[in-house]
Amino acid sequence: MGGFISRWRRLFITVLVIMVVTVSLSLTARVRGNVIGLSTLINTVVSPAESSMAFLGHEVGIGVSTVGDVFTLQQQNRALEQKLLKYKSMKLELAQVLAENGRLRGLLGLEHALGKWKLDPASIISRNPDSWFSTVVIDQGTRNGVHSGMAVIVPQGVVGRVISAGPSTSTVMLILDPKSGIGALDVRSQSTGVVLGQNPVAGLLKFQLFSSKANILPGDVVTTSGLSQYYPKGLLIGQIISVKHNHYGLTETATIRPAVDFNRLETVMVVQSHPSGASIPPIFGGN
Amino acid sequence: MDRLRIGTWILLYLLVLLIQVGLLPQIFPIGYVPDAMLSLTVLIALHETPKRGMWAGLLGGLMQDLWAGRLIGLNALTFALLGYGVAWVQQRIVRDPIFVPGLIAGLSQIVVVPFQWALLYIAGYHFSWLVFSRPLPVWILFSMLFTPALGGMVGFIPKRNRKRTRYRSFPM
Repeated sequence: MGGFISRWRRLFITVLVIMVVTVSLSLTARVRGNVIGLSTLINTVVSPAESSMAFLGHEVGIGVSTVGDVFTLQQQNRALEQKLLKYKSMKLELAQVLAENGRLRGLLGLEHALGKWKLDPASIISRNPDSWFSTVVIDQGTRNGVHSGMAVIVPQGVVGRVISAGPSTSTVMLILDPKSGIGALDVRSQSTGVVLGQNPVAGLLKFQLFSSKANILPGDVVTTSGLSQYYPKGLLIGQIISVKHNHYGLTETATIRPAVDFNRLETVMVVQSHPSGASIPPIFGGN
Repeated sequence: MDRLRIGTWILLYLLVLLIQVGLLPQIFPIGYVPDAMLSLTVLIALHETPKRGMWAGLLGGLMQDLWAGRLIGLNALTFALLGYGVAWVQQRIVRDPIFVPGLIAGLSQIVVVPFQWALLYIAGYHFSWLVFSRPLPVWILFSMLFTPALGGMVGFIPKRNRKRTRYRSFPM
């Protein structure tokens, strides 16, 4: 008997399983509600474990996806950094273009405003190698009609004058140079004098007045008087920042802050010719 | 260090002069532009005899004066004396590619500024000493940093003069 069962054991088990499954299917088909209830009961019992597993699985999934994301993010970061660099350089270029545009608009405005004045735009290509003197070299020379003695201006005011001209370059002495002198006029009081350059380190000008009782005050605007051999009348020189009465009250001098920022000079205009007695419009410092 | 030929001096001075008039004014404000020619004169003089140092200084100063076109002789005289002085001093001190050029250039700057102020005063330029010397700290610092850097760039590394070296190494 034992040998028989042992021989047909697999068949018995298979038949038994089929029978159990058949009975189970038959029973569950009939008592569906109870089966669901049983299932619910089981689920309730094991739900904490299920939740824990789900949570664990979720976290592991997030962890795995995070690791995967790191590589993706690295690539994205690199791409974004490159884009940022590109935009930064574009922004820089834009700022330069805007600055240049503003400068050229100023020069264009000056040219329009001056009408019959003949101006020649020039770029500064180098500066004086010493610090004691203040000269710059521009890229326009006698070939372009530039000659010694011509005034050099920017929309902000007077820059200096050409002291020597070669075929393609010229040297301009800035008004800061210790050898520079300009006939000047205090616009408010109409007092006249000479504006002299000082040490370029100071970056200021000295206004030596002709009258000992000139009524000048800090804040007054000073322009060229037109009495100078080189500079036309009405070019803005700067603003008085202090007034000094010398010994015995015989002379009066003032310190002027130039209107032009000489550290930022790039493009200037050489005044090649101007109508006799003409003055610069007030917007550019004329009176 | 092999003695440099005049052609090399001219080329170096020209290069430094271009830096002086074209590049440095873009970095430093007007009036504060340091003297790179002084650094080169010190560097050359550190590798020459006093006589040749003087000629090198004269050449560099003259080039600077001609370039500026104002007061020709101001820098020529200053740098000729500087070249002589530095070359004379270097024969009596330890050689070093960094500290010695930097220190001598800084000291030279301190000597050159009052000297030039006095020369300018004689020439009729009565600058206020206080204003005149205001950029001096900037120039000293620049000279002390720029001179060894320039020396390194152009290959001015002095060979150790064994006869004059105070400390000698002995074979083990």
